[in-house]
Amino acid sequence: MKTTTNSQTKGKSQGGSLWQSIFMDWDRVQLVISFALLALLALSPLVVKSPYYMSIIILTTLYIFTGISWNIIAGFSGQLLIAHISFLAFGAYTTFVLYITYGITPWVGIFVGGVVAALLGLGMAFVTLRYGLKMDYFALFSIALMVALKALFLKWKFVGSTIGLTISLGEPGFSKMIFDTKEPYLYIALGLTVIGIMVQYRLYHSKMGKYFLAIREDEDAAAALGVNTSLYNTLALVIGGAMAGVGGGFYAMYVTHIEPPQVFDLGFNVEIMMAAPIIGGLGSLAGPVLGGVVNKPFAEFVRGFVAGGNPAVLPIVYGLFLISVILFLPRGLTGVVHDLYLKVRRRYTSNKA
Amino acid sequence: MNFIMSIIDFFYMPLEIFSQTIVNGLLTGSIYSLVAIGLTLIYGVMIILNFAHGEFLMLGMYISFFSFTLLGLDPYLALPISAILIFALGALIQNVLVSQVLDSHPLNQIILLLGVSMLLIGLAQFFWTAEPKAIHVSYETEVFKLGILRFSIPRTVAFFSAMIISFSLFLFLQYTKTGAAIRAVSQSRAGAVLMGINVKYIYMLTFGLGTAVTAVAGALLTPNYRMIPTVGAPYAVTAFVVVVLGTMGNFIGAFIGGLIIGLVEAFAGFYFGGDVKIVASMFVFILILLFKPAGLFGGKTGI
Repeated sequence: MKTTTNSQTKGKSQGGSLWQSIFMDWDRVQLVISFALLALLALSPLVVKSPYYMSIIILTTLYIFTGISWNIIAGFSGQLLIAHISFLAFGAYTTFVLYITYGITPWVGIFVGGVVAALLGLGMAFVTLRYGLKMDYFALFSIALMVALKALFLKWKFVGSTIGLTISLGEPGFSKMIFDTKEPYLYIALGLTVIGIMVQYRLYHSKMGKYFLAIREDEDAAAALGVNTSLYNTLALVIGGAMAGVGGGFYAMYVTHIEPPQVFDLGFNVEIMMAAPIIGGLGSLAGPVLGGVVNKPFAEFVRGFVAGGNPAVLPIVYGLFLISVILFLPRGLTGVVHDLYLKVRRRYTSNKA
Repeated sequence: MNFIMSIIDFFYMPLEIFSQTIVNGLLTGSIYSLVAIGLTLIYGVMIILNFAHGEFLMLGMYISFFSFTLLGLDPYLALPISAILIFALGALIQNVLVSQVLDSHPLNQIILLLGVSMLLIGLAQFFWTAEPKAIHVSYETEVFKLGILRFSIPRTVAFFSAMIISFSLFLFLQYTKTGAAIRAVSQSRAGAVLMGINVKYIYMLTFGLGTAVTAVAGALLTPNYRMIPTVGAPYAVTAFVVVVLGTMGNFIGAFIGGLIIGLVEAFAGFYFGGDVKIVASMFVFILILLFKPAGLFGGKTGI
């Protein structure tokens, strides 16, 4: 009698072990939430037919990906990189120059763009970390660099100076990454985002990720314990920069036109880089996804339906987003979900006991 | 030899152009000084980077614009209006928003102030549109000559106003009881609390003062600059460079740094064209970071 009960409970726990091993581990729960939301985005073309709404969904997905790239730098390693958009601009320009001037397919171009952006990250790290620029100084440096790059790109004839670069649409084709429907763009963005989420998750659970968190919590203490803080700060910049560069390459191919005032802009930086992880909860795994599904759709909703398409509403919405999250929701939406999750888990475990 | 001659040729300037460039640099630099003093005051007391700084300059310009078009006031007579209104707004923002994040991670502070910046830009764009606005006064393009030098009247008035305001603010900080309290808080917050200083009040006062000074700088620019909602950003970036050059939180450093950056920009503008000015100050910024990250007046803490 006794043995049967034992084997029964054992069998039961084995049957629920996969589910349980996910449910009891908050990081895995975050991963599941992320993929569930991405699945919703992936299924959306079944319902959504209008190109306007499809466009919002594509940008929503892309903003999740770029948000992840900033989350790794600012959320994990805690560096005050404000003007992250320089990386995106480098990726976008590289992809366009390779495609327009040398006829290289964007499928290669966006990844070369990622490499170029990673090199920019390496250069930034070399200048700033080598001389121990931290916190406020680093934030100022990133913004000053963005402003200077904007001035240079406005002057640089090779990249179209003030006019910027535009691709002629012409015949759609897979190798040109130009499609006549919106769906392929969505699936490319989703593919990038899935890779981004996996990279973020693996990173978070690796030794490197632990070093990032140690640096974020207390850089001096981490250094005293033997963490090579300069190396890991540099790695964070390179990884996050490369991802932002790839995102920039795709963004350029999707919008088909880039110019310096647009891609070197602090307001756009908030929209495409900072808003999703901040709303979702900076430094958390599900943050960029949870924040991302709110970010663009809500801003577009307010602009389109409340303000009759007035573009001045966007900075107001994003300003209020940033202020209210910092004041009322410092852990972001992930914090809310986490509290809920803990409540459910406590009830579950107490029921079992 | 030819190469050296060509370099000398490139940098050669006739004396009158040289001195005129210095004059222009100092005239612009005085405005940078004023904006940077506001920034450094806030940083020195609260150790917080005011990322919404440029927007207070923008608001100062718009207030001056509206007091000219609606009330018919001369832009210079409207200076106190800008100062008082923005002082109140700054103190309010400090009390309601900034005071909540003074002890949190610097990233939270920056995000909050970026939010304030975007909100102010958005509101300005919403109510006053992105269309450039300008006012026209009789002395707008007037110039007076002193020997070989030419002085634009509005910019000269702006220069002397900026000098007077900076100097009186300096005297206020040095020789009044409230000024001493502000300096005390910037040197040691805990010590100031023990001396019975109301730190919350000092924070509000400082933020108000810092933003008001910036708004006045904006108002001084109104007679010869057009305004758009994003006009403040380049000034804010320049002010950041100035503040780092003159040591963050150092009053005199910000004042002298502003004049230096004004000169650098004027000479860079002469040699390489006006658009490269910002690259020149960025270059100076990197040089400071590499060779003297503590700034010109490093070592001294507090305002």
